Amino acid sequence: MDKSLIIALLSRKMAAEATQEELEQLRLLIEENPDAIYYEEILQELWENNSDSQMPQSDLDQIYALHRQKYKADFIINPVEEIPAGRHGYLQITGILLVFVVLSLLCFGLWQKKEQLSTHDTHIVAGKGIRKKVVLPDGTLVWLNAGSKLSYDTGFNQQKIRQVFLIGEAFFDVAHRKSQPFIVHTEKISVKVLGTAFNIQAYPGENKSEATLIRGSIELSVNDQSGQKVILNPSEKFAFSTEKKTMVIDHVEPVKIGNDEYIEETSWKDNQLVFQNETLEDLKPRLERWFNIQISIRSEQPKHYRFTGVFKNETINDALMAMQLIKPFTFKLTRYDVIIY
Amino acid sequence: MPKSLADLNDLKTHIALYDSESAYQQLFKYLFPSLYRFCYCILKSRELAEEAASDVMITLWRNRLKMLEINNIKVYAFVIARNVSLNILNRNHKEELISLDDIQIDILLDAHNPEQLLINDELKKKLEMATQSLPSKCKLVFKLIKEDGLTYKETATILNISVKTVDAHLVTAVKKLSTILREEFNLM
Repeated sequence: MDKSLIIALLSRKMAAEATQEELEQLRLLIEENPDAIYYEEILQELWENNSDSQMPQSDLDQIYALHRQKYKADFIINPVEEIPAGRHGYLQITGILLVFVVLSLLCFGLWQKKEQLSTHDTHIVAGKGIRKKVVLPDGTLVWLNAGSKLSYDTGFNQQKIRQVFLIGEAFFDVAHRKSQPFIVHTEKISVKVLGTAFNIQAYPGENKSEATLIRGSIELSVNDQSGQKVILNPSEKFAFSTEKKTMVIDHVEPVKIGNDEYIEETSWKDNQLVFQNETLEDLKPRLERWFNIQISIRSEQPKHYRFTGVFKNETINDALMAMQLIKPFTFKLTRYDVIIY
Repeated sequence: MPKSLADLNDLKTHIALYDSESAYQQLFKYLFPSLYRFCYCILKSRELAEEAASDVMITLWRNRLKMLEINNIKVYAFVIARNVSLNILNRNHKEELISLDDIQIDILLDAHNPEQLLINDELKKKLEMATQSLPSKCKLVFKLIKEDGLTYKETATILNISVKTVDAHLVTAVKKLSTILREEFNLM
């Protein structure tokens, strides 16, 4: 009786299907019936022989070569391997560049019509994954965030009004000139200042434009509602939703991470990517620009994961691994692409 | 070379998303030997088994776009292998329809391990003889679990039987072996 049960339990143990209770029961039974230990040992020997039945690597190489030859038509249809990631990325970048060119041409055309400006001949571009700091001819400091472009005329500081044109995101520390206002034009909003420090974000394709004031004061206007002016006070943030055409003014709260405080809107200029309680979906374009990478999220759940954090010198791999510690998701990293699923 | 499910999922993703032939080659080298042995059990011919296993692999490649939806690629491959092998058999026996239950399965108990103390050639032969009398599904269960390290659930899916039946088959097979052992070693 016992023997029959011992064999059944041994079978399950060999198949790695025995439960904890069954293993315990088996142990007790073997204690009572010491002979049973032989069964276990012999079965174990039989079982452990799996590896013997494997084919040698050389045979496998040959079999694969034959297989590849037999079905070669199936492999020719799609001869590109791994490279699509890179090529894909390249195409995307070209696409983005094209969008940039088209957009800047468009804006350029619009501004020319509206404001009768002469062509601006200086362009500063920070590509994806690159952040730049430049000094303009009038002494204004500009930090240009990844995927952004700033344009102006060479002689803009001799004009009555200093005007620059921005696509993307930049932080301005404007050189103070009492009688010479400084205006930043973006596609949707414009900011007029005398001398101050502020951040402005107006990425093409995103449904909001933002301006955040650090010190001084700025005057904002929405381009197609030029009559309406908004004055912003320090530590305030103005957001214009391009979809709903709504304007919101918010107080800027520093984000506390660990013992440090960060201002999410402007920390990028110090090479810190700060985000607070943001969904992965919202974070995606920021990460894409920051790391110069294309991200695709292939399952629904990770899109809604929320993250708070700061990245400084991390690589995309480090960054994603850190995020994995917070929420479970898997990612696959190739040269220009990240797939999250 | 037990590949973890995570490794397999990695290969799967590369094949599905990037048409990666190198990933396919790795998958091929991992799955082919087991598929070949499984097909051989059913087909009893090296040539046919090789053809069948090769057929299974190219089916995976051709359907790579749908690959991400497959949870367990190993089980999926074995199920295809079962169908391909039965199709080949039925192609050769046009009159009657053959199912897994009708097939004579041979089990080879490999024992080339130098550390083997208890099992000699003679005992091995006796054990093999003993398993011959088992029903074919019972032998297949034993083979898949012992040789390919599949779980009860995986085996159940491949052979289209319940998990309980898998357990019963395995226990029957092991019992059969143990009767030989009892005689051999004068056990209880």
